[in-house]
Amino acid sequence: MTCKEKDWVVKVEMIQLQSENLDDDYYYQTYYHRLERKQAEEELLGGRNKQEPPKLVTPFIQKVETYNSVVRIAGSLGQVAVSTCYSPRRAIDAVHHALVEEVGEGDTRLQLFLQLLEVEEMQRKMSLATEEQEEAEDEFLQVLCVRKGKKLTARLLPHLAPEQAEKILLTITHHLPFLMKKDAPDEASTSSLGQGVLGCLLLSLFLELAILLGLSKGGTLPESAELPLTMALKNQFGISLLYSLLSRGEGLLSSETPLEAHIGDFETWTDTVFLVARELSQVPKALLVEPLFLPSNLLSLFCRYLDKQTVHHLEAKMDVGGSELAWI
Amino acid sequence: MNYMPGTASLIQDIDKKHLVLLRDGRTLIGFLRSIDQFANLVLHQTVERIHVGKKYGDIPRGIFVVRGENVVLLGEIDLEKESDTLLQQVSIEEILEEQRVELQAKQESEKLKVQALKERGLAVPRADTLDEY
Repeated sequence: MTCKEKDWVVKVEMIQLQSENLDDDYYYQTYYHRLERKQAEEELLGGRNKQEPPKLVTPFIQKVETYNSVVRIAGSLGQVAVSTCYSPRRAIDAVHHALVEEVGEGDTRLQLFLQLLEVEEMQRKMSLATEEQEEAEDEFLQVLCVRKGKKLTARLLPHLAPEQAEKILLTITHHLPFLMKKDAPDEASTSSLGQGVLGCLLLSLFLELAILLGLSKGGTLPESAELPLTMALKNQFGISLLYSLLSRGEGLLSSETPLEAHIGDFETWTDTVFLVARELSQVPKALLVEPLFLPSNLLSLFCRYLDKQTVHHLEAKMDVGGSELAWI
Repeated sequence: MNYMPGTASLIQDIDKKHLVLLRDGRTLIGFLRSIDQFANLVLHQTVERIHVGKKYGDIPRGIFVVRGENVVLLGEIDLEKESDTLLQQVSIEEILEEQRVELQAKQESEKLKVQALKERGLAVPRADTLDEY
C-alpha cells in the first residue's frame, strides 16, 4: 500500500470521527477531551511548554461539505444512498416512505388504488392473526399430550382468570377426540387433569352450550366414524366432563339466577340433552366407563325433558344407586 | 508514526501476517496488503486453515479480497511464536476427511436430539441467526 493510499484511508477515517452527532463519535471525542484536560493540568502544574495534542487534520473540510446522504428522487420507489469519502457511513433507511405525498387532489384512481392496498394489508394481517392463534392452539395441544403437561395445566387452572380458563376449556373440548385418542396409554394422568378441569367454575349457560355443542358436533377423527360424543362416553375423562357439564347446566337452570342467554340457546340446550340421552341409551352398558364422579342432579335433568321409561332406562345404564336421589 | 492517536486503525497492520476469522467460520492466514474505511481486506499468500481436534491442514488460496462486514476478528501473527504450537499439521486430504467425519457425527447427534424432543412433545428450537458454525 503506498503512502498516498494510506493517507487517504486515514483521512477518511478521521473525517468519520468528527461529526455533529455525539452518538457516532462518543469514544473518540471523550478521549480527546480527557487528553486535553490532562495536558492543561500538566501545564498548570509543570509549567511546561504547551504541548498541542495531535489534532485531526481535517476539520476545515468538514465544515464545507454538508450533503444529503440519502436522496429520494421524485417519483421513484426507493432511496439512493449518496456516499462520499466525507461520510461513507450513512446507509439507506429500511423505513418505507409512503407515496401519499405525491398524490394530487384530482387523482381519484391513484387514491382508490392506495385504498385497495390498505385493505389488502388489513386482510393479510387478519389471516396472520388467525394463523398465530391456530399455531398457539396446536402448541398447547402438544403440551397436553404429555403427562407433565396435563399435570401442569391441572395445577394452573384454578389460578387463571375466568376468561383464560374458559379459553382453555374450549380448546380442550373442541379437540376432545384427539386428546382422548392420545390418552389411551396414560389415563391415570388425565384423571388428575380431569379433576382440575371439573373443579373450574363455569358461570354462564352460554358457555356451557358452546362447549357441549363442540362436543356433539365437533370434527370427528378421520379414522373413527363415531361421534365425539360416543367416544367421550367410553373415556373416563370424557364422560366425567360430559356429566359435569350437564350437571352444571341443570344446576344453573334450576336455580333462580338470571342467565344471559341468547336467542335459540335453550333450544340448543334441550337438543343437546336429547342427543346425550340418545347416545347413552344406545351405547351398550359394557362399554360405558365409570366417571370420576357422578353428579346427583343428572336424573332430575333428564326427568325435566324425557319420559319416565327413558329415564329409568338411563338410570340403569348410569348405574346410579337410586338411594340418594329424590324422585320428582 | 501514529496517524490517529486515540483510535484503532488497521494502518499499522499493513504488510504483516494476520489470522482472519470470517463469519462463516473459515480461518484465513495471510499478509495484509491493503485496507479501506470499511475494513475490506486484501490478503496476500493466503492459506485457509481447517482445524479438527488437535490437527489442522492448510489449503493455499492465493490472493483474497474480503468484504469488511464478513470479518469477525483479525489479529497479527507473531512469526517467532507461530511454530510453538501443540497442534499437528496433516495433509489436506486427511483434514478434509476428518472434517467430513466430524460434520456427520454432529448431524447424527442433532437428528437424535430432534427426535427425542419430538417424542416428548416439545418444539424443536430453530436457528434464527445466520451465523452458525
